[in-house]
Amino acid sequence: MIGLVYIVLSIISVLLALQGGYTLYLMIYTWDDPRVTERTRAPERFSEPSLSFTVMLPARHEEEVIQTTMGRVVGANYPAELIQVLVICSADDTGTIQQAERKVEELRLQNRRGVDLVVFDDRPINKPHALNTALRYATKDVVTVFDAEDDVHPDIFNVVNTVMLHDPVKVVQAGVQLMNYRDRWYSALNVLEYFFWFKSTLHFFARYGAIPLGGNTVFFRRAVLHMVGGWDERNLTEDADIGIRLSSVGVSARVVYDDRYVTREETPPTLGQFIKQRTRWSQGFLQTLRKGDWRRMPGRAQRLLAAYTLTFPIVQAALGLYAVAALIMMFEVKAPIMVALISYLPVLLLASHFLTAVIGLREFTEAYGMKASWGMTLNMALAWFPYQLVLAFAALRAVGRIVLGVNNWEKTKHVGAHRQRQEAGEHAA
Amino acid sequence: MLPEAVADGPGGQVGPEAGAGLDPVEEGLLPADTRHRFLLAVCVASGALTHAYHLFLYPLYTTDEGIYMEQAWSVLREGRLSPYTYFYDHAPGAWLTIAAYVSVLPMQFQTFGDAINTGRILMLLVHIGNVFLLYQIAYRLSRRHLAAVVACFFFNFSPVAVFYQREVLLDNLMVFWVLLSVYLLTKEDRRVRTAMLSGLSFGLALITKENALFFAPVIGFLLYRQVQASRNRRFALGYWGFAAWGPVSMYTLYASLKNELLPSRLNFSLSSPPADHVALLYTIWWQLNRNQGGILDPGSAFWQFSLGSWLPKDHFILMAGSAAMVFGLMKGMQDRKTHASLLIAASLAGSYTLYLIRGSVMLEFYVIPLLPFLALNIGLVLDHLLRDSSAAFRVTAAGAMMVVLAMPVGGYVLYYNDKNQLAPADLYNVPLTPMQEQELAYVREHIPTSARIIIDDDMWVPLHDQDPPYRYAHSHWKASGDPAIRDNLFHRDWQNIDYIVMSNKMRQAMVQNNGDGMESWMLDAIDNHSSRIWSLRHGDVELVIYQIDHGGGGQ
Repeated sequence: MIGLVYIVLSIISVLLALQGGYTLYLMIYTWDDPRVTERTRAPERFSEPSLSFTVMLPARHEEEVIQTTMGRVVGANYPAELIQVLVICSADDTGTIQQAERKVEELRLQNRRGVDLVVFDDRPINKPHALNTALRYATKDVVTVFDAEDDVHPDIFNVVNTVMLHDPVKVVQAGVQLMNYRDRWYSALNVLEYFFWFKSTLHFFARYGAIPLGGNTVFFRRAVLHMVGGWDERNLTEDADIGIRLSSVGVSARVVYDDRYVTREETPPTLGQFIKQRTRWSQGFLQTLRKGDWRRMPGRAQRLLAAYTLTFPIVQAALGLYAVAALIMMFEVKAPIMVALISYLPVLLLASHFLTAVIGLREFTEAYGMKASWGMTLNMALAWFPYQLVLAFAALRAVGRIVLGVNNWEKTKHVGAHRQRQEAGEHAA
Repeated sequence: MLPEAVADGPGGQVGPEAGAGLDPVEEGLLPADTRHRFLLAVCVASGALTHAYHLFLYPLYTTDEGIYMEQAWSVLREGRLSPYTYFYDHAPGAWLTIAAYVSVLPMQFQTFGDAINTGRILMLLVHIGNVFLLYQIAYRLSRRHLAAVVACFFFNFSPVAVFYQREVLLDNLMVFWVLLSVYLLTKEDRRVRTAMLSGLSFGLALITKENALFFAPVIGFLLYRQVQASRNRRFALGYWGFAAWGPVSMYTLYASLKNELLPSRLNFSLSSPPADHVALLYTIWWQLNRNQGGILDPGSAFWQFSLGSWLPKDHFILMAGSAAMVFGLMKGMQDRKTHASLLIAASLAGSYTLYLIRGSVMLEFYVIPLLPFLALNIGLVLDHLLRDSSAAFRVTAAGAMMVVLAMPVGGYVLYYNDKNQLAPADLYNVPLTPMQEQELAYVREHIPTSARIIIDDDMWVPLHDQDPPYRYAHSHWKASGDPAIRDNLFHRDWQNIDYIVMSNKMRQAMVQNNGDGMESWMLDAIDNHSSRIWSLRHGDVELVIYQIDHGGGGQ
């Protein structure tokens, strides 16, 4: 019996090591090959503005940040007549509606047209429903989504216009980056997850044609949205879902991450909010997995990649359980040397992930003109294991919610921390 | 001529010297790619030929070859790192590799007759790989086939190189990993994956033989130069280091899991070593404190081997290689940017030379890791000196040098024997190992498998990897040094020995190893209580088998 345990332990260790190695490769995919890095950068010269954009700004209880976001979108370096802005609210969210109306009025007084408020009073009250509602009013060539707290770069439309004119892709995912890496114990690790996801992993997914898209700063040719029937209103990660559906019908996507043009966001303000956000993402991925659109992808490699990506929450939950079991076994089981050495492989991979995070922090801070201290590295080291446990807990919670049939949307609260820091920096400057 | 900027590739990479010329300048009859492949194939084939021909017959099977084969045997047959107490004298990467190789052979240790022959075939394969790597490294550093061909010529034909590179030694495998590490770093793709694989190769070199560590500063410098201007430099540097650390950490974890990382009670005393268990860190400390005299000591092992073993085999590669190394260091220090390639090659040879001359304990074959880098330096410096000559002159000069060295003047392939007749060099002519096969055959025919025998390690596997095995045949090294054999089996008493099977110069080794008197009881058995029952002599090689007289009478 104990022999069987050792065999199982060895197999799990090898599988974990392989999984860790693969994840690591995804994390450094663009850094690995300088040619990929060059391909993923934004164009250095912009083409003449040609494409028109419908900007969707779904907002719920975002009265604190919505006006600033609208102002930033409207203030983009792109001809006003080529940009349509649709702020989308549910009828019960009077606070946000009021703030948005004021901003629309203010813009009208400045003779800025094409900014409208779309209010819906039917259900469900969630982001995909809001987007589908607004899609009916979208009139421009390209439809894009920004979140209410996003700091949109003024040149993002020039970047996408140039990319779409030179590359026959129907979808462009541009970079999104959390910025407030020093605010909470988990902030740096959360920021780095975004950094690696948008700067590297998504490029890999795009290359192999199985990409779970992000929730904002994503640009679609309007026709492809109509072709797939818009967003899935029952899915908690409608962004990833639409990416998989588009991939399954052969619509290619291009990812552009350039530190200069990312959309800036903030980490969830509390651990509870963070767990809720992660639970939603994990649950959404599992919903997409169960829907099975990924099975229609033409290539086996695409299907495998999609299945792996969407299964990842389960893997993460298993990792959490394994971590606890491993801790117990470390003290309770005197395994043979060979088994112990094999069990060490995932630890090596874990260490390499941490090393990658440490380097990533240096890359991130350098890219955004900040400086990472060794104290921050130490904090990250201390937070590392608890953070993995939190992720595993959120994944387990997602599995539990699916089992219990709970599918409600747990919205992440936004306080504009990334803006406060930026503005403080600007004032100091 | 190319502009000076050619000296540094993209991102300050090590490239050809200024004005050295890339392919378009290096004129030839064949297209560049075809020429490259053809010359590479010639180098690989000549390396295979010089090392394969007479491989099983020369040189004699040695103690160290036997030790590594018996440790590989133990991995496969016993699931252990050594049939005796493993005391971390060397990291196990090499014999784990040998064990993996043997495990896939149809008749395992007997596939090529003797176990050491089987190991030598692996060394041949490793050498072929090493030639490929050396050629590519030399070519990438110089962008000239001349440098690559000349480097490979010395690496393939130098008698001192052929002699040791045929033997089953850790150093040969370590050289492969070091060359692979350098080869990957000279690749110009600037990928993190490449740097990581280079680090992993170097880590494997370290657990194959620890003295690879002496290459670390130079390889680190090469890595830094290659990636310093790249966007991914942090990842390249970090992953290189991590990948190198990985295998080493596995090794230390192994020691830790066996509770053999630290000596008991943290006793690092060299005068009274901890007795209850072996310890990795203690052995490292012990190794660091061993000394046989450095270059300033005329009686040191360095001079003993230089003058007694290496120079007589081939003085040219050692002297010309050393001169080329000094030349490369001087040129490189004068202008690190223009002569980066010379500096790298010279530093690789120089760093290991420092290891050899610093005065630690040294064995005859410790010169092995130096040889490819001496060859590399000769190739690069010769190319540098001939750079301004015409292509025809360059080819003629290099070809003439190689022919002269192969002829009796150089003695690499042909020489005049005692009868003043033109003959192939001993490496390709003298059969030595059949004597050892005869000795082994005598043991098998005339000595019962239950006998308690003192042997040398070269015949350990043949005696243990057969049915029935000679369970009580043990190396004199273990009979003197391993308490489990010395005290529990033989009880340090000559009366517990039945036979002593002497390999060539085993007597000399026993006397040298008798500083603490632990060989005395075996020497006593030979000198006072034995009968010579078999012997064979050829030139200065002598093999003897003694039967111990338990009746009390001696010769």
